[in-house]
Amino acid sequence: LSEAQTIAVEVVGIEQVTPLIKHFKLAPVDGGALPVFSGGSHIIVVMQGAERVHRNPYSLLGSPQQLDTYEIGVRRMEESRGGSHFMHDTVKLGSRLEIAHPVNLFGLDKIARKHVLIAGGIGITPFLGQLEDLHDGGVPYELHYSVRSSEHAAFLDRLRRREGERLHMYYDGEGQFIPFETLLATQPLGTHAYVCGPAGMIKHVIATAQSCGWPDSHIHWEQFSAPPVGDAFEVFLARAKISVHVPPDQSLLESIEAAGVEVPYLCRGGVCGFCHTRVLELDGELLHNDHFLSEAERAKAKSIMPCVSRAHCKRLVLDL
Amino acid sequence: MLVTGIKSKPVYAPLQADTRGRYHLMLGMGVGAAPLLRVIAEMRVAAAQSLKNTRVLFVPDAGAAGEIAQFKAAAVGDVRAFAGTPALLEQFRAILGESLMGTRLYVAGPENFIGLVMKIALEFNLNKDEIRAEECGTLARRVYCIHCRTTTENVRTNIVRCDDCERWLLVRDHYSRRLAAYMGVMVDAEAPGELPPLKEVFL
Repeated sequence: LSEAQTIAVEVVGIEQVTPLIKHFKLAPVDGGALPVFSGGSHIIVVMQGAERVHRNPYSLLGSPQQLDTYEIGVRRMEESRGGSHFMHDTVKLGSRLEIAHPVNLFGLDKIARKHVLIAGGIGITPFLGQLEDLHDGGVPYELHYSVRSSEHAAFLDRLRRREGERLHMYYDGEGQFIPFETLLATQPLGTHAYVCGPAGMIKHVIATAQSCGWPDSHIHWEQFSAPPVGDAFEVFLARAKISVHVPPDQSLLESIEAAGVEVPYLCRGGVCGFCHTRVLELDGELLHNDHFLSEAERAKAKSIMPCVSRAHCKRLVLDL
Repeated sequence: MLVTGIKSKPVYAPLQADTRGRYHLMLGMGVGAAPLLRVIAEMRVAAAQSLKNTRVLFVPDAGAAGEIAQFKAAAVGDVRAFAGTPALLEQFRAILGESLMGTRLYVAGPENFIGLVMKIALEFNLNKDEIRAEECGTLARRVYCIHCRTTTENVRTNIVRCDDCERWLLVRDHYSRRLAAYMGVMVDAEAPGELPPLKEVFL
């Protein structure tokens, strides 16, 4: 993906839906319709910050049938590297942003006999789009949504209105927890489970489903990792023949982009595998933070996902 | 002439117990008893408690009652014998309708039997990681006439006359999971009456 393929949008709606989550509506500056997408898709929002460019993935939570605006929900992260703070503090009605075309890494299984959707906190966002696809589908589904308390339950009115009894709410501040074991042990054959939320929740759902005998092909999850901070290091790009400094609070991908070299990417969250880059030389170790490479691939140390992964090394040469 | 190297031709592997599953459903026919009994023995060693959640649906060869006795002796949860494939498939469909996630399927028998089982499993959205199949017994094929859409059963020869339209069909390796049949394509369309020699190839 390159900047040439982005779409200029204007912020035409902002609503503070919970103390931490803002709901934005984005309309194309040139008018007309935005690209078609399917439920579960995300876009990359490109933000021109004061010191750097932020590119964050956000799920589209509007109806795939409504293409005059895109809707996203942004949670203010405590340890933001700048993107979510920029969206919360700097972006106003009328602000201009660039977005990349939608990509779906969290689509519904088209021949499932039932869908079980499990959301924790801001993890509700990809499901809002998916639910739009499910309303008319004729396939049974249920949504289990866990939040701290009612004031943190983003989009609850909309969900109550549209989902009725298919919505199951859990307020963990009041000691209510999703009964994962019972839920996953009693689903009819051909059910698919989808989970989006905090890392611990995703891990727990996967482990519980597996212990209930679920095969991996029926378990789906999405978690965009923010690139973790780390020690600064240097990288040499073999084809561009330049050396790039990666500071502690900037990702490898961002640093390479800032040096003027384009790397293909889709999710910027360690999920899609699109920015897969070959490691040509390494003196030290790779710090993998992605959800894409297998243990075997990590052990080989021949590839890296620069969107979220870093290195602790004396020398690193990439095939870029 | 058979057209080999077709990717859709199913590949089978020896059955192995998958103890990650919670429920185990075994379907077999004739010589398929041996692989299923082997899996049951594996399970007894690896996870004996799985046996009570194991069901066997089986079509014995005519006159053979020994296998059913062996399954019953193996103390699996439920063993049922059927006179033929259609009755077994009907029961299989009913069981899948009530089954829960966590079910693993084991199929052992001739390919045409496996294919018919898989066709129903597909309707219930069972994926590859929930099904294991071992081919044993006859290689006779179900052949789908791509011209009149009739399926001719128990085909053992390289070319076959369609049961319905009577065209001579070349039996290809091109397989449809949805139809549980190999594709049959008119063999003398360009030179009517010119047929390759008839050979028994699927024994």
